[in-house]
Amino acid sequence: MVTIKLAVLARGRPIYLDSPESFGFVVMGPVTATFTYLLAVFSFGLDGDLGARRSMYPTRMFTRPLTTGALAGLPMLYGIATIFVLWLVTRLFALWPTGSHIPWLWPGLMLASLLAWTQALTWMPYPLPGLRIIVAVLWLGTIDTIAILALHFNARESLMLGILAPQIPLAYLVARFAVARARRGDVPDWRGGFVRLAQVADALSRRREHFRSAARAQAWFEWRRHGRSLPGWVAILLPFELVLLWVAGDSNSLVFTILLAVLLTPPFMATFAAAAVSKSSPDASDSYGVNPFIATRPLTNAELVAAKLKMAVWSTIAAWVLVLIAVALALELSGTAAVVLERWHRFSAVVGGPRAVVLLLLILWGCIASTWTQLVQSMYIGLTGRAALINGSVVLVLGFFVLFGPFAEWIVETRRLGEIWSALPLIFALLVALKMIAAVWIGVRLYEGRLLSDRTLVTGAACWSVAVFALYGVLIWLLDTPHIPHYLLMLVAILSIPLARLSAAPLALAWNRHR
Amino acid sequence: MTAEATRVGEPVIDVTELTRRFDSTTALDSVSLSMPRGAVYGLVGANGAGKTTLIKHILGLLRAESGSVRVFGLDPVADPVGVLSRIGYLSEENDLPGWMRVDELIRFSRAFYPAWDDAYAEELRQSFALEPAAKIKSLSKGQKARMGLLIALAYRPDLLVLDEPSSGLDPIVRRDILGAIIRTIAHEGRTVLFSSHLLEEVEQVADHVTMINKGRIVLSAPLEDIREAHRVDGRVLSLDEIFVAQVGMSAAAASES
Repeated sequence: MVTIKLAVLARGRPIYLDSPESFGFVVMGPVTATFTYLLAVFSFGLDGDLGARRSMYPTRMFTRPLTTGALAGLPMLYGIATIFVLWLVTRLFALWPTGSHIPWLWPGLMLASLLAWTQALTWMPYPLPGLRIIVAVLWLGTIDTIAILALHFNARESLMLGILAPQIPLAYLVARFAVARARRGDVPDWRGGFVRLAQVADALSRRREHFRSAARAQAWFEWRRHGRSLPGWVAILLPFELVLLWVAGDSNSLVFTILLAVLLTPPFMATFAAAAVSKSSPDASDSYGVNPFIATRPLTNAELVAAKLKMAVWSTIAAWVLVLIAVALALELSGTAAVVLERWHRFSAVVGGPRAVVLLLLILWGCIASTWTQLVQSMYIGLTGRAALINGSVVLVLGFFVLFGPFAEWIVETRRLGEIWSALPLIFALLVALKMIAAVWIGVRLYEGRLLSDRTLVTGAACWSVAVFALYGVLIWLLDTPHIPHYLLMLVAILSIPLARLSAAPLALAWNRHR
Repeated sequence: MTAEATRVGEPVIDVTELTRRFDSTTALDSVSLSMPRGAVYGLVGANGAGKTTLIKHILGLLRAESGSVRVFGLDPVADPVGVLSRIGYLSEENDLPGWMRVDELIRFSRAFYPAWDDAYAEELRQSFALEPAAKIKSLSKGQKARMGLLIALAYRPDLLVLDEPSSGLDPIVRRDILGAIIRTIAHEGRTVLFSSHLLEEVEQVADHVTMINKGRIVLSAPLEDIREAHRVDGRVLSLDEIFVAQVGMSAAAASES
């Protein structure tokens, strides 16, 4: 951010960020990415399991000769100090909209409150698996909403300080209580209250018969370990979202905003579930290596990865069956189905019935595929078991978000959007070339390392090609316009179907399993 | 797959000039070991001597940086299925999935080994007093060790690898483990690699002892030969005394060089 500002000053050309989009690109994107990384670092969230009941506070710290207050307070203190530095740097060096008055204190206090509460909520042991994510999303969302409402009604800085200042001591008290519980090994357990539900879940997934193959047994193992998290979390969040349909009434935009949020819930929650799925050892919170119980299964690395992929398919299907049933019921019971149907009829009248149906199916398929992809796409990093690589990839992704905003704004500011649009085929072609080079390199490594049989490699390549051509065909049929050349649609189809990262997963596991 | 599938005369484990370094530490230094079929090898050494590192190479969990490892004539890294389907392994760390029930773990493990013997598994379950409905995480440390032993033995593996199996266990469980080794030996052609620092246990079951110290093999010979070679005033030294003497000699040789 400092570099951008210095570059602007050196060139002596002012940049005006009067539109919210410009401000978002250049300032809020990078700040949010950095803030997210700091949240993960100071809450020890990079190593732990978000969905687990136990506290995410590292157990190795409990034996240190420090009071519980210090164990909770010191990371909070360092975190808050760092966040304030981040805010002050942003306040001093960011390219703020011209003429706007930027407060000095309360935005920093807001970020510090969010950090303190994130720490408190991640260090708390929970009575049910997955409850941490639900509580964190709801509570942090509430703080955000209060701040946004205060801004909306032009609240004075003193009022904002009054609202936010008590948050940090309150969060500290909760964090201290959480660390004290975790330190004495006190993990509450409400699963007894859900005995019947647990019995049903257990009965559904318990094996009374013998497995027909080792691969099926491993897929069942993965399902029991990770498969139920995503549908479970989606099932908990859905009622909070769908109840808003009763508030929305006849407001078209609100109904569709709610439906959009519901459709985005499974892929969004899948990003959390993916952290556990892509781990090579399901039970090891502090270690990335493969657990000897798994490592000594007489299965190839490809079969171990295939079990995870199958589990991800079942998990995605279960989550989406829940979403579709819940949405249909909620629309019907809330009386908002008419709003949706009326919009649907208008849409099909404009684009034609068959096209409308295909487009709807394509969107649905895109959402489902995106959920599955979110679950499995980080396996090629997580399964390597290399902490530096895993943490480095997080930094890289956040770094991308930091740079993307200013870059996008630069394109808009310098009126290069047209040039970029013209260069789009070349950019896509370069990306396709990169993807294919990576895929070939991975294919050769898989073949040389005998990680996949010749038959599997050929079958995989054939299936991928069929999927690409099928998508290409649908895109040509849907977007039948002379403005979009067919080769561009082909490039889009190639980029859309996962290949390189998925193929790299057995390589990553082999690198970890046979160190 | 049975022990007969290994070619006659071919060693079950053949380690040649294996060296392994972790950063600046040499965990294994030019280790060579050849284990014939039907042998019971006791691998002894102090904590950190390199026993587990050697076993991990045999299981294919570590890749040979220098030298070679062959198990049943196969590279355990290149062919994990071919090797691991014939090995029964019990580790010192208890890494069984705590969320499974005893019967689920038995059914799950059964799927991986075509030679799984249901009757034998049931016999072991009953003799170890493992309740089918009990969750693994609710079992005591000794019961977990018995459970691990059950799933390592029930398919009558050609090679049984036990890495510090008795560590931290009470004498009754240790007796069960030793009994299992003896039963395994009773099946013709079965081979056992048994790592421990409890030398009196090794003395009870091993017919060949390999002592390892700071990543180097300091002594490897049949137990009887070792005993014969270590007599002081007509008294046969215990394995403990021999071990201390060998480690001392090894340290002296290292300081001289």
